[in-house]
Amino acid sequence: MFLALTEMRRAKVRFGLLAGAVGLLVFLILFQQALLSGLINQFIGAIKNQSGQVLVFNDQARRNLDGSIILPAQQAAITKVDGVETASPLGQGTFTVTAVNDNETETDAVLFGYVIGQPGAPTSLVEGRLVEAADEAVASEKDRDAGFDIGDVVRIEPGGASITIVGVARDINYSVQPVLFVEFGTFEAAKRTRNPDAAAIFPSVIAIKVAAGRSAADVARRINEQVDGVEALTRQEAVDGSPGVSSVRTSFTVILGLFYLVVPLVTGLFFLIVTFQKASALTLLRAIGAPARSLVWSLLVQVVVVMTIGSLVAFGLYSVAIQGVSNLGVHVEVMPAVVTSLVVLALALVTSLVAVRRVLRIDPLLATTGAGVAL
Amino acid sequence: MLPLRELRRRPSRFIVATVVLSFLATLLLFLGGLLDGLYLGSTGAIRAQPGDVIVFSSGARDSFLRSRITADLRADVESADGVDAVGGVGFVLLGAKVPTKAELADVTVAGYELPPKGVPPPPKDYQGTADSSLKDQGVGLGDTILVGPAESPITIIGFVDDTSFLQQGAVWVNLPTWRAVQNANRPDSAVADDVVQTLVVKGSVVKGSVVKGSVVKGVADGRSLSEVIDAATANATSTLTVDEAVLALPGVKQQGQTFDQIIYSTFVVVLAVVGLFFSLLTIERIGLYGVLKAIGASTPRLFAGVVMQAVIVAIIAFLIGSLLAIGAAFALPAKVPLQLIPSRFIFTFAGLLLAAVLGSAVSLRRVTRVDPASAIGSAS
Repeated sequence: MFLALTEMRRAKVRFGLLAGAVGLLVFLILFQQALLSGLINQFIGAIKNQSGQVLVFNDQARRNLDGSIILPAQQAAITKVDGVETASPLGQGTFTVTAVNDNETETDAVLFGYVIGQPGAPTSLVEGRLVEAADEAVASEKDRDAGFDIGDVVRIEPGGASITIVGVARDINYSVQPVLFVEFGTFEAAKRTRNPDAAAIFPSVIAIKVAAGRSAADVARRINEQVDGVEALTRQEAVDGSPGVSSVRTSFTVILGLFYLVVPLVTGLFFLIVTFQKASALTLLRAIGAPARSLVWSLLVQVVVVMTIGSLVAFGLYSVAIQGVSNLGVHVEVMPAVVTSLVVLALALVTSLVAVRRVLRIDPLLATTGAGVAL
Repeated sequence: MLPLRELRRRPSRFIVATVVLSFLATLLLFLGGLLDGLYLGSTGAIRAQPGDVIVFSSGARDSFLRSRITADLRADVESADGVDAVGGVGFVLLGAKVPTKAELADVTVAGYELPPKGVPPPPKDYQGTADSSLKDQGVGLGDTILVGPAESPITIIGFVDDTSFLQQGAVWVNLPTWRAVQNANRPDSAVADDVVQTLVVKGSVVKGSVVKGSVVKGVADGRSLSEVIDAATANATSTLTVDEAVLALPGVKQQGQTFDQIIYSTFVVVLAVVGLFFSLLTIERIGLYGVLKAIGASTPRLFAGVVMQAVIVAIIAFLIGSLLAIGAAFALPAKVPLQLIPSRFIFTFAGLLLAAVLGSAVSLRRVTRVDPASAIGSAS
C-alpha cells in the first residue's frame, strides 16, 4: 500500500493523465446514459404514462402517433372485439400556444385529447386533479416554470380556446415538447382552430381498457386478427416501437459499448506498460524478500485509486454537464453513477490481471544476473 | 530514420496505443456518422430547395407541417420588392404500400412548384420522383406505391439523391397531387385548393451582406429579403433563410449541439491517451535519448521523432478505426441513421492528427531535460 501510493505521488503526471482520461471516459458514459433515459422519457412519456392498456394505431402509421388516424368504422369494429371493456378515442397533435402567465410567450405544445373517465388519461398526476370539463388540462411537471403550472392559462393559436391548467403529472412529455392532456372536445376545437379547412377530426389512436381477467397482449392480438387496417399494441409495445426510440436505443447501446470497452483497455494496458518499466525494481524487491502478494496488492491498489479518482472527476463533470440538458428532465442521480463506476472498476481490475500475471512470473534469481531483467 | 526503424522493429511497443486509438477513432466516426445521418436524413428536402428564403405563416412557429399560406398572403409575398420567383411547397408524412413488399415504406409526399436540386419540373398528377433512400425500402422505377390509409396511388418516374424529410424519403409530386393526398389521408389537416404550407422565394439579392439573409438589391435601407417580405405581409409571415429553416426543424439544432459536445470530449480523451502513452514510452527511452544526445542528436530532432511516431500511430489507428466503423455501418440495422460521409472521415483524421501532435508534446519536457552526460557510465 505504502509503495503503491508513494509511486503515485512521485509520478503525478503519469497517473494524473490516466485518471484524467478515465475520468473523461466515465463522464461520457454517465452523460450518455442520462441522455438516453432522458431522451426516451421525453419522446414517449405521454404514451408510457396514460391509462390505455392497449393502443390501436392505423397500420399505415407504422406505430407513429403523428401519422395515425382511426376511421369511425374501425373504431366500431374494435369495440366489438372480445376482451375489450372500453374503447375510447385518443387524439394527439402539436399546436402553437401562448403561455399567458409566462409573459405571453408563444411556444409549441402537444395536446392529448381523451374522453373524461375513459382510457387515455394521464396516470402520473403529482399535484392538482384530472380534467373534469372542457378547456381544462393536465400539464407536464417539467414545464411548470414555462407557464404550465396549476392555475396558469394556455391559449391555442391563432386566437383559439384558453385552457386552464388544473393538474400536473410527471414524465408525460412527448417529442421533447410540453404536453397538455385535455378533454377530446377541446382537442377537436384546437384542431379546427389550427386548420379551419379541416374536413373531419378523427382520433389518432383508440385507447383500450381490457376486460377483467384478460391480458392486454391477448386483446391486442385479437384486435389485430379481427379488425382490418389497424395495429394494436400493448402500452409497452407502443413505447418500445415508437419511431426513434428503438434506433436511439440501438445507437446509444453501440456507443456505450465502445466506451465500456475503451476504459478498461486503457487502464489495463497502462498498468501492463508500467509493470514492464518497473521490471528491474520489482525483481529486486522480490529478491530482498518482498512477497509476490504485496506487489500484486500494490498494483491493484493503484488501479482502484486511479479508477476512484477518475470516477470522482467524472461525477463532477457529469453534475455540471447535466445542467446543460435539464430541458430533457434529467437530474444528477448518484446511484447510476455509483453503479457505472463500480462496473468500470471491475472491468479495469479484470484487464489489470494481465499485469498481475506478469508480476507473479517474476523470478527473484534474475536480480543476481545484473542488467537485462525482463518479465 | 530512427523513429521509423523503431516502429518497424518493435511494433509491439506501439500496439497498446494503436489499439486504444483505433477504438476511439471508431467511436468518433460512429458518433459523427450518427450526427450526419440524423442531420442529412432530416434536412435533405429543405437543403435542396432552390430559393433564397422560405416563408412560413406567422403562427406556425416555423413548422412546415403547421404552416398555411393562403392565396392572399402569397399575393402579398409576390408583390414584395426584390422577389423574383415564388413557389409553393407542402409536406405530408405517411406510410406507403410498395409492390412485392410486405413492410410499409415511410415516405414524405412533397408538393412543389420550383424544382428542388436534382428534381425535374413538377410531373403529371399522381406521378412522383422518389428520394433514392426509398430504394432500400423496395421502391423501384415504374412502381405505383399506395400512400396512406386512403391508399392514394403515386407512380415513381425517377429518383433523386439526398432529399429526405424528418428521416422519411421524399416523393416529389405536383401541388394538386400533394393536396389530394393530404386531404384524403389527413382530413384534419385538409387544405383548400389555393393553400400551400410554405413558399420558397428567389430574390434579387446581394448575398451574404447582412447576418439575417441577404440584402435586397435596390432597397435603400439595406433590409434583408426576409425583412422585406415580412413587412409586405404586415408580419403575417415569418421568413427564414434556407439555413435558418433547416435549423428550425424539430431537434436538428439540439442534436447537433449534443453530439458535438460528445465528439469534442472524445477528442480530449484521445489527447490524454496519446499524451499518456508517449510519456510512458519516453520514460522508457530516457537512457537511449541520453546516448543519442551524447553523440550529437539535438532535442528538436529527438522530439520530432516522438511526434512522427505519434502521427504514424494515429494514421494506423485511423485506418483501423475507419474499417471498424464501416463494418459497423454494414452490420447495424437500417433503422440506425448512420451515414459515413467523406467530410466526416477528413474531420476525424485531422482531429486525430492534431490530438496526436498535441498529446506527444507532453513528452517534450522530458526529452528537453535529458542530460547527455547521463549516457556516460550508463548501461541502458
